[in-house]
Amino acid sequence: MSEGTGSSPTVFLVDDDARILQSLSRALQKRGFKVETFSSAEKFLETYDPAQPGCLVLDYGMPGLNGLDLQQHLVSTGISIPIIFISGHGGIPESVQAMKAGAIDFLEKPFRQPTLVACIETAFARDLNLRQKAAQNQSAQLRYQALTAREKEIARFMISHPSHTSSKEIGRALDISPRTVDHHRASILSKMQIGSVAELIELSLSSSLQLDDGG
Amino acid sequence: MKYSLGFIIAISFAGLQFLAILSVVSTSYVTSERAMLEQARELLDKAGARAGEHSARFLADAQDAAELTARLIESDLTGLVDTARMERLLFETLRAEAELDGLFYGRETGDFVYVSRSTETAEFRTKIITFDGDARATELIWRDADYRVIARAPEPGDTFDPRDRPWYINAQIKEATSWTDPYIFFSSQLPGITVSAPVNAQSGALEGVIGADIEISAISEFLSELTISPNGSALILSDSGDVIALPDVEQISVLNQDGTLSFANVAELENGLAQAAFADLVASSETAFETETRSQFEHENDTYVSLVKPITHTGLPWTIALFAPEDDFTQTIKDNRRRNTWIAAAISLATALAGFALAELILKPVRAFAVRTSLVSQGEMSASEPLPRTYKELQRANETLIDEIAQRREADSKIVQLNRDLSHFSRVNLMGQMASGLAHELSQPLTAISQNVDTALTTAKQLDGNTGDLLEILTELDDQAHRGGDIIRALRGFVRKDEAEKAAFDFEELLGQTAHLLHHELDNNGVSLTCKSDRLPMAYGSRVQIAQVLINLIRNAIEAMADQDSPRKHITVTAQAKSDEIEVWVDDTGPGISPDITLFKQFETSKPNGMGLGLAICRTIVEANGGKLWHDSNHAPNSRFCFTLSKEG
Repeated sequence: MSEGTGSSPTVFLVDDDARILQSLSRALQKRGFKVETFSSAEKFLETYDPAQPGCLVLDYGMPGLNGLDLQQHLVSTGISIPIIFISGHGGIPESVQAMKAGAIDFLEKPFRQPTLVACIETAFARDLNLRQKAAQNQSAQLRYQALTAREKEIARFMISHPSHTSSKEIGRALDISPRTVDHHRASILSKMQIGSVAELIELSLSSSLQLDDGG
Repeated sequence: MKYSLGFIIAISFAGLQFLAILSVVSTSYVTSERAMLEQARELLDKAGARAGEHSARFLADAQDAAELTARLIESDLTGLVDTARMERLLFETLRAEAELDGLFYGRETGDFVYVSRSTETAEFRTKIITFDGDARATELIWRDADYRVIARAPEPGDTFDPRDRPWYINAQIKEATSWTDPYIFFSSQLPGITVSAPVNAQSGALEGVIGADIEISAISEFLSELTISPNGSALILSDSGDVIALPDVEQISVLNQDGTLSFANVAELENGLAQAAFADLVASSETAFETETRSQFEHENDTYVSLVKPITHTGLPWTIALFAPEDDFTQTIKDNRRRNTWIAAAISLATALAGFALAELILKPVRAFAVRTSLVSQGEMSASEPLPRTYKELQRANETLIDEIAQRREADSKIVQLNRDLSHFSRVNLMGQMASGLAHELSQPLTAISQNVDTALTTAKQLDGNTGDLLEILTELDDQAHRGGDIIRALRGFVRKDEAEKAAFDFEELLGQTAHLLHHELDNNGVSLTCKSDRLPMAYGSRVQIAQVLINLIRNAIEAMADQDSPRKHITVTAQAKSDEIEVWVDDTGPGISPDITLFKQFETSKPNGMGLGLAICRTIVEANGGKLWHDSNHAPNSRFCFTLSKEG
């Protein structure tokens, strides 16, 4: 666990039926989950902090903002909390829509507890993964920002021309001597805390580095 | 107003018949009338000719006698100066010539011998006037046919002078035979005429005149005997318009005021008919016709034909007139015409009656057909019942009618059926909606139960001690809650509204859901269900509708076997992919379909717990989804219902 995901994950439970909220939260808590309940999508949005890790167990059919609406809203605002839909209606088009928008699963009520637990665990794993990646990106970005302007220029060239990473090729392209290139390259690898140019390219792809000067 | 066929036929028959007969009758009448009138004219001509000839011969004989006597006297003048001899000559001639009434000879000297037929005293009478110087002596002698004197008597006061008489003067002037005008004989009061011929001496000087009286009533007698027609008549007129001969001789003379007798003028005749016949003649006062004149005239409402012609033979200015009523000739054909008209009427009446009878005969089957048609249309009679003896046209009409009725009945029952189905379908639809809501409502508490059981289980597992029973109970509770959930899910599978549209769907999944849904029902009735299917392709159609069909077929099978005591109650649903469709059949081990039940016709609302649709609507649904539904009777005594589904694509 990195420092960005310090608190334990929470199951955010949204359902308009109080009995469902009560029984489900009790069951999950009994199984050791940390649960927060909301009687509507609106109430969830009011108090939810995207920094909190966890997943959303969301009832599909609710008055006001329904499950799908909430999912749309979260996606559009860049909040990527994993969602498990639970539904008493079980319409295929709705479930397809939900899954396409990134839902973990679409469970028809009543569902077996192990199924839900498995889904929650999957969701937690995904959430953790997402948060770790975000943290990685953030640190890579920070390290990249620590490079000098020339180093950034050389790093950008190497990332954008992965097949022309020899010092000669870089020096010719940037009109500097291969020796200087060698020097900068060593500095880049050191600052970025990586061992090879190949790692640099991989890092740039996996953590979507913002390579521009202004980024 | 509409007339019956019978009336029209009868009237047409009778009318045509009547017209035909009438035209024949009138044509023949016109022809025969013309012929008869022609004949009438010929008869008139003939009669006129005969009367003319008779009159002429009659007068000619008298003329011959007079002229012969005159020649005799001329040839023996000297001898005949003797009155006795003269008397004898005249007597013999008179006796020989029956037409003559009297024969006489007047001399220039005034002597006169007159022998005439007599009706009193003796057969003949002679009047002799002699002059001895100026002394005049008149003697009358009566003789019998043998010239014997019967009586003698002088006639002292006699003033008769032959030289003053017209007959004498005529002959004297004309120096030839001449005729007087007809006149009425004073003595006999009968019509007569005198012919006279001059007797000349050898010197050429007039010696005397011989005269002969002819009683022309004989002509009248002849006319009365002349047959023209039953009511025909003939007259002879002189040039002055006097009627000198007519059948009724009594009418011929009229007594003048001065006591003399004269002929009746045609204008004075009591016989109005004759007046009418010669009205033109009288009016024009032209009494002599130079040519034959035929005419027609009306008198007292009768039409007459007439013929007026001159008697040319003698040179006398006489005219013979004949007339006869047309009816004498045409009566027969008029009678005939009347009779024919009656016959025509009778035949027409008979034809009309025959027409009525015929129309009745023709109409009888038509009427029977009309009655039958109305009975059929009111549903009181079946159109397929045998038709009574009738016409080919009606036979055909009946066939059409039967077809129409059958089609209409079918359409009606289809409408009724569909109405019933529709109401049922809407009920089912409503049930579907309710089930959908119900599924949701039930899923909530079931979810809560399930969650609570889970909590309880987790809690129990954490407890020390003997929790085996509790765990078992809780696990069972959890199972039951989820069984409820499964049922709801299956139910929801049928009523998902998104599947009312045609789409590809997994029939095997549907079959599984159906089996699940009917599990309880099958158990309750002791029926086992087996579903066989093997790697089916995706089906295409309305999932929910096909589900309803499937449920219905299985339910029917369950119900068919429900009352059986058989230990083996089994339903097998088999689905198999064919070349271009999926075939599904539902077999049961039930009693089979009773032959007197009409499948696909009745909507069995009487079924207990009947949620299923009728076979008819099942078939409609399957057909709407591009398939067929039928009962396969080859599996008796069990029953097999089959239907097909479209494959995707």
